[in-house]
Amino acid sequence: MTTAETVLAPATRARSAAAGAAVRRGQGFQHGGWFVAPFLVLFALFVIWPLLRGIYLSFTDANISGEGESFVGLDNYREALKDPLMWDALGHSAYFTLLVVPCITVLAFLLAMLAHHIERGKWLWRLCFFAPFLLPSTVAGNLWQWLFNPGTGMINHIFGGDTPWLTDTSYAMLAIVIETLWWTVGFSFLLYLAALQSIPGHLYEAAKLDGANAWHRMVHITLPMLRNITGLVVALQILASLQVFDQAVVMMDFGPGPENATRTFVQYTLEEGFTSYRVGYASAISVMFFVIIAAVALARTWLLRNREETAR
Amino acid sequence: MGQPGLTRRHLLGAAGGLTAAASFGFAALGSGADALASHARTRVRYWNLFSGGDGSNMIAMLNAFRAAHPDIAVKDSTLQWGNPFYTKLAMAAAGNRAPDLGVMHVGRVAGFSPGRLLDAWDVDLLAEYGVREQDYHPGLWQRGVIDGKLYALPLDVHVQLCFYRKDVLRKAGLLGADDRMVPVTSADDWFGVLKEARKATRKGLQTIGLWINDQNFQWWFFVAFYTQLGGTWFDAAHTEVTFDTDKAAEVLQFLRRHVTDGYADPAMGSVNAEQFLNGAPFAWEGNWSVPVYAGAKLDYGAMPLPPVFGKQATHAESHAFVLPHRSGRGGATDEAAHRLAAYVVTHARQWAAGGHIPAHLPTLSTPAYRKLYPQNEYVSAMNHQANEPKVWFAGSTGILAQRVGPVVVSSTLGSVRPDAAARRMKSELGTLLAMKNPMDGRTAAQGGTAA
Amino acid sequence: MSTTTRPRTAWTPGQIVLTLLGTAVSVVFLAPLAWGLFTSLKSETEAVEVPPHWLPEHWTGQAWKALFDTGNITNWFVNSLVVSVCVTTVVLLVSALAGYGFARTEFRGKGVLMGLVMAGLMISPAVLGVPLFTTVQQMGMVDTYWGMILPQCAPAAMVYILYKFFQGIPRELEEAAFIDGAGRWRVFFTIVVPLARPSLAAVGIFTFIASWNNFLWPYMVTSNPDLMTMPNGIATVMNSYGIQWAQLMAGGLMAGLPLIVVFVFFQRQIVAGVAHTGLAGQ
Repeated sequence: MTTAETVLAPATRARSAAAGAAVRRGQGFQHGGWFVAPFLVLFALFVIWPLLRGIYLSFTDANISGEGESFVGLDNYREALKDPLMWDALGHSAYFTLLVVPCITVLAFLLAMLAHHIERGKWLWRLCFFAPFLLPSTVAGNLWQWLFNPGTGMINHIFGGDTPWLTDTSYAMLAIVIETLWWTVGFSFLLYLAALQSIPGHLYEAAKLDGANAWHRMVHITLPMLRNITGLVVALQILASLQVFDQAVVMMDFGPGPENATRTFVQYTLEEGFTSYRVGYASAISVMFFVIIAAVALARTWLLRNREETAR
Repeated sequence: MGQPGLTRRHLLGAAGGLTAAASFGFAALGSGADALASHARTRVRYWNLFSGGDGSNMIAMLNAFRAAHPDIAVKDSTLQWGNPFYTKLAMAAAGNRAPDLGVMHVGRVAGFSPGRLLDAWDVDLLAEYGVREQDYHPGLWQRGVIDGKLYALPLDVHVQLCFYRKDVLRKAGLLGADDRMVPVTSADDWFGVLKEARKATRKGLQTIGLWINDQNFQWWFFVAFYTQLGGTWFDAAHTEVTFDTDKAAEVLQFLRRHVTDGYADPAMGSVNAEQFLNGAPFAWEGNWSVPVYAGAKLDYGAMPLPPVFGKQATHAESHAFVLPHRSGRGGATDEAAHRLAAYVVTHARQWAAGGHIPAHLPTLSTPAYRKLYPQNEYVSAMNHQANEPKVWFAGSTGILAQRVGPVVVSSTLGSVRPDAAARRMKSELGTLLAMKNPMDGRTAAQGGTAA
Repeated sequence: MSTTTRPRTAWTPGQIVLTLLGTAVSVVFLAPLAWGLFTSLKSETEAVEVPPHWLPEHWTGQAWKALFDTGNITNWFVNSLVVSVCVTTVVLLVSALAGYGFARTEFRGKGVLMGLVMAGLMISPAVLGVPLFTTVQQMGMVDTYWGMILPQCAPAAMVYILYKFFQGIPRELEEAAFIDGAGRWRVFFTIVVPLARPSLAAVGIFTFIASWNNFLWPYMVTSNPDLMTMPNGIATVMNSYGIQWAQLMAGGLMAGLPLIVVFVFFQRQIVAGVAHTGLAGQ
């Protein structure tokens, strides 16, 4: 926005203001279909069509060979509702989300506060906290699989003990959560940092003049000003965490973890589709998953709207 | 923004444009840098799942083949073992981009939709290159035959073994006059042996490693001992589950006792080999661990899993060559794939160094193989195979192992009681029997296996 | 987004404490990377020694050398580059056009289409991977570059971000150009695109990072090791001598370092980009 305004020379502004009304409905802004067409073609082919096809396949017994499916009605959905492995997998993804979202939000906020308030070397802190996010998921996963290794890894060596991080049901998911915090906190951290930097300085100056101490300034200015960004961070994290897959499979060597303890929902759909070749069934549970994701996303929109209305 | 900024921007822009153009060109060619580099000769793409010692043996055999057939370029790729491999192979075949030659476990062939994801071997062509049915154990050859056509060409038989350290057992007085472990014929015998062995074991080491957290190994051991007890899975028509929960509970109890009596340490579940190398007296492992221990110059032996329930039986599977489905199969590349597979099968002496028992009988009967130790201590396991049931959902890391394996683990680790676990296994088997093979829409009873 | 520029203060006790704290946290964040780097400089046997130690006793580049000698790593690097560059180029072009189209032009069904794009924000390969695979399979693009590239080229999020941006530019500029007789496309490319450069940079950088690091979709759609990208190849293809940690770490660093280097050089733009894209979503 600032760029646009500086570029807008006053002369241009005056001239266009005079002529603006004349062209507002003129040829320039008509028939924009061509602008959106390329995107819409790709969007239709690779988003809308798969969605429709997924819904169709969910009512069939399609297999991986891509031919010869027949209609089975609601069988797949009926089976899914009774499938304990499906519920387990959904539970694992939900559990992961429940652990990751609060931790990452708080951690990102604290790191942002830290980086914001240190006067020197801002770029260095930013780099350190953000760097892990730049690694591919599989590299980060391998790194931590190696760190958590019972005998040769650094974690047990530093903290003592011989915790079987990756082979025990009570630690396996925790190990994945720790890896995820390290790997992805940088993104939310940058969002918080940007939000902090966009809080107008005069608010603080005014509060200082009124005699508010640092704690009061944080509670009464910083936190309220960060409410929107927190909403965004939480929403993005929930959506991303529910879809967890990469780090879990990499750290468990593409298996479901000890006693299936880390098999996530996405992993289960892929196993059903590509390992058991049950594309119809996998489509059915994918569609159910899509409904869940959509519900979460819509809930956020609804909450936002409600809040705006109460604010008004 | 002054002049220098502008030039740098132009430069960056030009570089970016060039990179983009080159990338699109590359993507349009679509074959990958490696394929571009070599296109002069017949090129066989070959996927396998062999890592570790197996991997180096396979590469040595491939190099020998390359030297003997310079006109054929072999592009081998090793993918992560287990489900990722089968997933990749199925997806490639489904997308009609399969490699020319692949490796699978024979037990997986029935569920891998022969005819759709797999193409049949040209048996005459194989014979021309030196591989004939009469060179095989008939049962083994037949495992690869479905609807009268050969889909899997077996390379080996691999079995679960009881590895033991002679240096430790000698101290414990558990070695016989023939320098082999004293025979064991009952569970009590076996735990007696473990008790003695523990006394001779260094502190900080477990007595036996049996992969208690690993659903594959635990399942394989279960199959072995359940077969020793004479347990069955389904009736001949595959309509009913004949799984015996009492026998199963007995086996689960036996496995569990290794933990409750303190012979196997759950925290060491994933470091079996390291423990054995460091001096743990026993490790139950696949025969593919032979090169690891041989390489470490250990004083060790390996025998089939002990017949604690009276009868010899140990879990066995086979690696086999397959032809993943390609719509345009045939021609020079296909012939080269036949030639390569036949070469490896008939030169399996090298492969036996990896601990596997060669499937090609002429190789098995050579004096060179007969001299290999500990291979000659466990070669008899070939005649006491405990296999998974012949149904579409069975086979190495197949649906059966995925569903039932974790139940065995939970029993061995103690989170579920053996009798409850046995009942849960039975109900899983019932579910699987009622399940339709997604590839042909038929249950096991309706011939979904075709085996 | 004006940053408050305060004069550099002296080393107050508060600043000293904060800086020490920041240093400690940074060490924790960098330690895993350092561990990976040091591991890659050990021999394979030293890498698995118990107990582990940080610094190699014998520094060796054998893992790095072996990586290039035996592995497919250079192949994968080229593939990653090809895929990421193509995806970024297509996404920039397509989403800039679409964002502008939705923000500025009128056409029938615009409202419905915009709603559809919003719904697209919820769809990803993680959610609809299996049907997406069968779609690409129908098109015969399994195990091809295009099969990897094209499904990554319809990101509703990027269209939305640019849509928000274009809505914020005053119309008068374009109107003036129209009066001067410029055509719609000329206005777009000579006036609108230059204005949008920072936003486009943000979208481009993010698309590149996401595409370079993308694992799930390439994992699903490629099986041929010749065609794999770095993250996929490292995870699913092992070299035939088993997991060798020093080599695995070297490969991982090779996959991760380019982006970290890019970040060091373009930090300002990236941070502005995150701020921009993130704050647009508020």
